[in-house]
Amino acid sequence: MSHPSYARRAFLAASAAFLSLTLAGTAATPAAGEPVLFGVSGPLTGQNAQYGAQWKAGFDLALEEINAKGGVLGRPLAYVFEDSQSDPRQSVAIAQKFVNDPRIAIELGDFSSPASMAASPIYQRAGLVQLGFTNSHPDFTKGGDFIWSPSISQADSQPLLADLAIKTLGLKKVAVLHLNTDWGRTSKDVFVKAAAERGAQVVATEGYQPDEKDFRSTLVRVRDAKPDGIVLISYYADGALIAGQVRATGIDLPLVAVGSVYSPKFIELGGAQVNGVLTNTTFFPEEPRAEVQNFVKRFRAKYNREPDAFNVYAYDAVVLTAAAINAAGKTDRRAIRDALYKIKDVPSVVFGKATFDPQSRRVIGVRSVDLVVRDGKWAVWDGKKTVAAATR
Amino acid sequence: MPSLASWFDHTLNGLIIGNVYALLAVGLALIFGVSNLINFAHGSVYTVGAFIGWAAITYFKTPLPVTLLLVIGGSALLGMAIERIGLRPLANSPRIAPLLATIGISFVLDQLVQLLAGPDPRALPSPLPPWRLQIGGGTIGALDLLIAGIGLVSTGALFGFLRYTRLGWAVRASAQDRDAAQQMGVNIHAVNQAVFAIASALGGLSGLLVGMYYNNISPAMSFQATLKGVVAVVIGGVGNVPGAIAGSLLLGLTESWGVALFGTPYRNLFAFLLLIAILVWRPNGLFGKGRALAPEPLTGTFIAPSKPVVLPRWLWPAVIALLVVLPWLVQPLQQASYVLTTLTNAWLYALLALSLTLVAGTVGLISLGHAGLLAVGAYASALLAIDLGLPVPLAVLFAGFATAALGTLLVYPAFRLRGHYVSIATLGIGEIVALVILNWESLTRGPIGITGVPALALAGTPLDAGPGFYWFALAALLALALLQSRLLRTHLGRVFRAVRDDDVAARSYGVVPNRYKALAFAFGGFAAGIAGGLTAHLYSYINHETFTSQISILAITIVILGGLGNVAGAVIGAVALIGLPELFRVTAEYRMLIYGVTLLLLVRFRPQGLLGTV
Repeated sequence: MSHPSYARRAFLAASAAFLSLTLAGTAATPAAGEPVLFGVSGPLTGQNAQYGAQWKAGFDLALEEINAKGGVLGRPLAYVFEDSQSDPRQSVAIAQKFVNDPRIAIELGDFSSPASMAASPIYQRAGLVQLGFTNSHPDFTKGGDFIWSPSISQADSQPLLADLAIKTLGLKKVAVLHLNTDWGRTSKDVFVKAAAERGAQVVATEGYQPDEKDFRSTLVRVRDAKPDGIVLISYYADGALIAGQVRATGIDLPLVAVGSVYSPKFIELGGAQVNGVLTNTTFFPEEPRAEVQNFVKRFRAKYNREPDAFNVYAYDAVVLTAAAINAAGKTDRRAIRDALYKIKDVPSVVFGKATFDPQSRRVIGVRSVDLVVRDGKWAVWDGKKTVAAATR
Repeated sequence: MPSLASWFDHTLNGLIIGNVYALLAVGLALIFGVSNLINFAHGSVYTVGAFIGWAAITYFKTPLPVTLLLVIGGSALLGMAIERIGLRPLANSPRIAPLLATIGISFVLDQLVQLLAGPDPRALPSPLPPWRLQIGGGTIGALDLLIAGIGLVSTGALFGFLRYTRLGWAVRASAQDRDAAQQMGVNIHAVNQAVFAIASALGGLSGLLVGMYYNNISPAMSFQATLKGVVAVVIGGVGNVPGAIAGSLLLGLTESWGVALFGTPYRNLFAFLLLIAILVWRPNGLFGKGRALAPEPLTGTFIAPSKPVVLPRWLWPAVIALLVVLPWLVQPLQQASYVLTTLTNAWLYALLALSLTLVAGTVGLISLGHAGLLAVGAYASALLAIDLGLPVPLAVLFAGFATAALGTLLVYPAFRLRGHYVSIATLGIGEIVALVILNWESLTRGPIGITGVPALALAGTPLDAGPGFYWFALAALLALALLQSRLLRTHLGRVFRAVRDDDVAARSYGVVPNRYKALAFAFGGFAAGIAGGLTAHLYSYINHETFTSQISILAITIVILGGLGNVAGAVIGAVALIGLPELFRVTAEYRMLIYGVTLLLLVRFRPQGLLGTV
């Protein structure tokens, strides 16, 4: 397989064009020479294709910036994106392909846990770092010392959500709707524990399938449990669907959702019904921090749309990758792994400053902003109690 | 236990969602009634319809009536094109070929939509007034009424059309007896095309309305739509349009009541249990006449006999020798282990295909739920190795036996069915297996899945994903393939084929078909269980999403491509269908599109499979 992939060719062309542009204009020393490659295993087709497309947007933006500032080790950084459809059968083959390709310095992905974790043994055995930047499965990094994840740990972020729902909003009896996947289930378990510690009672938990669209019956069950608030552990598409059906079921309760609903799409898909939904997110474009403002400005300029959480995760993952390669001082795979233990306070849109915990190989500590949907826009929540769905 | 008021709300909600399924089911029932075909592309037409409407509203700001007309017209044209390009050329090929063609068409359409509109879900706001009517604890809106209205009107119009117009008579005549209708001067092709146009127009329209209902459309929504539509059709009685509506409502009610009683994760479980119950007790559907299945015109002709390709005898030892030494041959290549992993995958799928080709090809039970057997094998082997500490090869072996037993038991209710009914029943059984795995947490660990499945090791030596695993999988495949091809040449093999070709004749010679079907399923289940077990130890992590119904579809595609019942064909089909998407990697996003087109071309020009039916 000596052909360069479509994605790679497109990217190389783009970076070459960018190179010539910056050469002409500014004084920065752009990267030159043979590119340093990272491999990406992720969905470009199939059920999860949208997330692969969002990753690409995040990667490309980060690379543009990194390569304009000299790349890594003075060489441009680039990637090879292999479509796995988030299918373990294909992610395993891709893993073999990457570990055998000496140009690949580090690997990012896959998207879903079954696909990522099926590939982990291959990366671990071959000694190529697998940076599963969306893999929050609690056992993911237990795959070995080459398996790392800068994804937000649910053990960190769910207590913050519980703080918002229970301490700030004062809910006493909550109902939890969660995606019935490894992520949703893990998050729910942590949330239920955190809620109990804060003195609230979880009166109902309902797990739903990712391809579910009708929630009316589930919501009647929730209503019958007589909660005083509903917590959603959802992604934006299903979160918007649920919020849209809450009113049709005659429920007037506050809705608090986990940060992964943060997306302009949540409002597009939810319409007026998501007004009043609260969330706490690690990323909000209007946050004044320099990393956030820089990212948001450049993202809007390049793509002419609003970034969302998955764009940010991908962007941050590339920044981390570049930092690790630079710290390693060479493209040797083992040296890059060792560098991950050493790099400290890498600028990050999500974490502010990212540092890996050497034991868990995850980034610890997470901060968040409380947001509310007001008049069809995400806004920082001013602490005023709102009743979701009843505000209109 | 919910209160009476809540029961009322649950019932209303069931009717509302059933209303949504009905629009899909009517189109499917129509095509099924006339062409005897499960149209797997129906969900894709539904998706295309939604996106036509979305494009019209977004780019041309069309008002609702114009949007509806555009969607109806566009979807009807698409339906005619599907009939003309995808199905008409297959009129004289085995009846299984059009089924495969609709799967290929659905691949192509879904990928086209995704390439044109992007994979992101899109909002499709409803232009109807936002008033809502309070009923019980809940409300219904204008769109609910519009959907119900369109469902009823289209059913009424279809009923009138079928009963009182000349074309309608022709449609019904073609459904009853194609050849006789043709002899009476009916232009079968025109009838088929008209049916596809009407059914697709309804499908596209339902895509638009359902998209507006949820304010959410995405290229990935087609498979679920087909699945729910097919279940609703079968409940109501295949080919029975008013029955399809009643079946849809009943499906909606079952789901809603299932949620009410047991909670959200059980929703689909009840839908599929209802499907199996209906198929076992009233295979003609709730509203069909009589309890016994009408003799299907396709029984016995479902799988057309063809002359299998005879390969020279010296070829097999040579190919096997080549495969055995392959790891050494590819050693110098940079991508040696990538090639070996891809081939290992192919061997695992070939094992699955061996199982399916015996069950589907030799005995004639076209199973669309074989991923369920894979999952049973994988969980059995993983749990035996982890919880009981069995050595991995032994765990895989026991997983094979467990799958043989459990698989036969699960599919037993489907043995009395024939033709398409078997396919639908097994499709449901496959889904039930996945849902039981999701919900039986104390055994399977639910959605968290099983981590740390030990790797395959032989006498203490780990066989990693490289040559070791390759040889082990190849050895298992060769052993079972040789056994199966011996079996087909014995008396038992002939009895299997007799059961497939004419179950009445077989019975009159003292053969009890169910026993032989069970025997075939046991043998096939063993091979599938071994494949599942090996897969679990290769991946090291499995959960309920590892073995999706897409894998069942892939398995049947492999089998048909290789030639039904053909052992060598199953292996060649697996290598082709696992290898092709890897070869097409260079084309990135276009990969699955090219795969779909390739599949269509293969069905078109080689419907009996590469090596022919045995």
